[in-house]
Amino acid sequence: MSEVLLASPAAGTGATPVPAASGARQFWRRLRTRRAALVAAAVVALLVLVAVAAPLFTAVEGQDPTTYHPALVDSARGGVPVGSFGGISGDHWLGVEPQTGRDLFARLVYGARVSLGVALAATLVQVLIGVVVGIASALGGQWVDQLLSRLTDVIIALPLMIMSLALLAIVPGNFPRPVLVALVIGLIAWGGIAKIVRAQTLTLKQLDHVAAARLSGWGSWRIARRELLPGLAAPVITYAALLVPSNITVEAALSFLGVGVKPPTPSWGQMITAADVWYQAAPQYLLLPAGALFLTVLALTVLGDGIRTALDPRAASRLRVGTGRRREARVKDATGETATTATAAKTGAGA
Amino acid sequence: MRQPSVRARRVAAVSVSLFLAAGAAACGPKDNDAKGAGGGDSKPQKGGTLTVLNSNPQEDFDPARLYTSGGGNVPSLVFRTLTTRNRESGAAGAKVVPDLATDTGRPSENATVWTYTLKEGLKFEDGSPITSADIKYGIERSFAPELSGGAPYLRDWLIGAADYQGPYKDKGKGLDAIGTPDARTIVFHLNKPEGEFPYLATQTQFTPVPKAKDTGTKYEEHPVSSGPYKVVSNEGDGERLILERNTYWSAATDEERKAYPDRIDVRSGLDSSVINQRLSASQGADAASVTTDTNLGPAELAKVSGDKELAARVGTGHFGYINYIAFNPKVKPFDNIKVREAISYAIDRTSVVNAAGGSSLAEPATTYLPDQKSFGYTPYDHFPAGASGNPAKAKEVLKEAGYPNGLTVTLTHSNSKDFETSPEIATAVQDALKKAGITVKLDGLEDNDYRDTIHDAKKEPGFFLAHWGADWPSGGPFLAPIFDGRQIVKDGANFNNGFLDDKSVNAEIDAINKLTDLDAAAKRWGALDSRIGEQALTVPLFHPVYKRLYGKDVKNIVISDWTGVLDISQVSVK
Repeated sequence: MSEVLLASPAAGTGATPVPAASGARQFWRRLRTRRAALVAAAVVALLVLVAVAAPLFTAVEGQDPTTYHPALVDSARGGVPVGSFGGISGDHWLGVEPQTGRDLFARLVYGARVSLGVALAATLVQVLIGVVVGIASALGGQWVDQLLSRLTDVIIALPLMIMSLALLAIVPGNFPRPVLVALVIGLIAWGGIAKIVRAQTLTLKQLDHVAAARLSGWGSWRIARRELLPGLAAPVITYAALLVPSNITVEAALSFLGVGVKPPTPSWGQMITAADVWYQAAPQYLLLPAGALFLTVLALTVLGDGIRTALDPRAASRLRVGTGRRREARVKDATGETATTATAAKTGAGA
Repeated sequence: MRQPSVRARRVAAVSVSLFLAAGAAACGPKDNDAKGAGGGDSKPQKGGTLTVLNSNPQEDFDPARLYTSGGGNVPSLVFRTLTTRNRESGAAGAKVVPDLATDTGRPSENATVWTYTLKEGLKFEDGSPITSADIKYGIERSFAPELSGGAPYLRDWLIGAADYQGPYKDKGKGLDAIGTPDARTIVFHLNKPEGEFPYLATQTQFTPVPKAKDTGTKYEEHPVSSGPYKVVSNEGDGERLILERNTYWSAATDEERKAYPDRIDVRSGLDSSVINQRLSASQGADAASVTTDTNLGPAELAKVSGDKELAARVGTGHFGYINYIAFNPKVKPFDNIKVREAISYAIDRTSVVNAAGGSSLAEPATTYLPDQKSFGYTPYDHFPAGASGNPAKAKEVLKEAGYPNGLTVTLTHSNSKDFETSPEIATAVQDALKKAGITVKLDGLEDNDYRDTIHDAKKEPGFFLAHWGADWPSGGPFLAPIFDGRQIVKDGANFNNGFLDDKSVNAEIDAINKLTDLDAAAKRWGALDSRIGEQALTVPLFHPVYKRLYGKDVKNIVISDWTGVLDISQVSVK
């Protein structure tokens, strides 16, 4: 994944001067040509809907994620769900959890809240810190740059999982857990985005409109806000889109290791841990959260890749999933796209 | 998997160095009637190799250092002791019987002096005779700091033993509390009456050790056998232990050990799921295999119980053990007995049992003592919750307690995956109390942190999951450490979690310890348990049941209520 991510700094750089409105239109036009990305977007939209409307979905089913149903499991056989396919019935659409009899559908949709919520919040934290540090080090003096760049190096070098495990273990138990997990992931893994923003900002600084702004006496803050941020949008969005699935995996892994959200709050990673011993006796218990996790990460990755290509067709994906290359080429011609390919080399300098 | 590793429990118990090692007993033998399981109906024959597939190695294989209940399972093949467990299935297996001695001990009138006579014709693996001096020496060396690891009872009970440092110091000064008037007689002088001394004499510290062969800390590599097998190879500190017949052992002097196989091959360090997988496949050498430390987990049980062939190869055992909720009455609102009662009424034992693995792996408990006769089990249910809780009654009691609108409490538990104090049990409790208007917040701690916290009198939480097991099947080591007010430890490992210091309870504990009639003592332990139960300092949840697979060719399965595990000394593979 990191290769894909590192390719992105080049992405936005060339496209900067394009006015926002026409950029957005072009972006949509290009994204539309990638069927895989569209399908992925639909899946992601559905997942977000499920997560946001989780109480609604479970109300329709008539269940909630925490109530025990001891009558629905066979206590003498270790608590395996009664009935075929893990106890699937009109009342329990995806069956029930072994040992407890809690409704799996309810736990799965509530688990989506945790997985998506934590991943999105963590991404937000990463983007915020990354952009601020990146711009500050590009615009600041030599000392500031040195200091912030080395700090970024250190952050990148930190082993994410080990640091998260350590941090989550020492924070008192009464701190709200999902917020904590999001913060920990966000605070540890912002190094990549900071590097990209710094490189991009260094390039943008050379451009005429920024120089003009500086000559007319604008302060650094105003320049950053008015002249630099629009140009940073593309690479940042691209990078963020690819960070979300990676954050989902980290959250699941932390929950799997038992330091994520606390029971009885369901999370996919936690469900997978509890289910791993049941793969033979109650396979659907493991397959449901694992499948949901797989689908989500795949959809988000494909969508992220689609966004990247749409924002910068020159750095076309190596994935080439459902790209419809020929069609894309035609669209490119039609829109009169003349990518300034020469800039690629120039931008590389910053990275 | 259900059972925390023997080693982890042992380490915990030793580190707290109080009476009970909560689970040190997991290495004992027992015999459950296997109903002709596995190998058919033919009589057990001598010969063959028995393989033992275990997770935990036979670490520190030195009789001075082992912490066992009733002498352990594998250790008991090599080390004979003054007394031992009765090698029979079920309740009969919870009795103490003579081993090296001719009886289980002759007490003085107040049970402070215990005398044993050795059988005739006892020999070590080199053919030299076993004398009472060898037993005395074996006990003395267990006091050496470099050979620590055993239970703390000897140091507590023997006169002048509190500061004794073993025979390696002070020019081999011995313990005067142990007398050996002749080669076959040994006398123990205790500083207080202890009617249960015969139970203690089953532990490996009572194994004879020939002084001439003692190599100190290296003795564990090749301890001199007094039992039916001797060590021929010990790799990686008990990771791979190979035992073969000790030709000087005579079945005529040993009524307990059958010793059918010619060779025992103990392989440890295996993952529990691998052990269960190998035992269920039962291929090749695994057909003649057993495990002494790995239970079937809930998911494995679900698979095994659906397969007749496998289900016939499961040994079921009961070990004296309790999983419960503990209260600290120094923490509000648990100082109010009505709050503790309300929680007792609200508990849903069906959900809890399911969370612990279902009715085949756990039995609901309303008494603190295990439901076995040897513990003096006296049924009581002071705050009846029925099978699935009585939230209405709980709400009523909560109102009397001054909480008409319910209350919010925090339940502390561990984050281990042991199905005992783990999150699964905690969430089941949480769900049950919700119905009674009690909101439970969960505070899960890492395993070590959890143990330190609940055993530290200053940090002890108000409401937490706990468990307890006994070193021998009696009410004494079950109740005394938890409810004897004189055993409250202010700085250090404290097990009296309810800080109960009731003069009449303390006096009754002393009175029962004087009894040498173990049946009479058991009855009074049971009555005491019921009396303490009225104070609602604990909510008993469940007693675990052990289910373990064994290979196709394994015969003569004996599982006693002492250890709950099949007894290796009885197993045949031919």
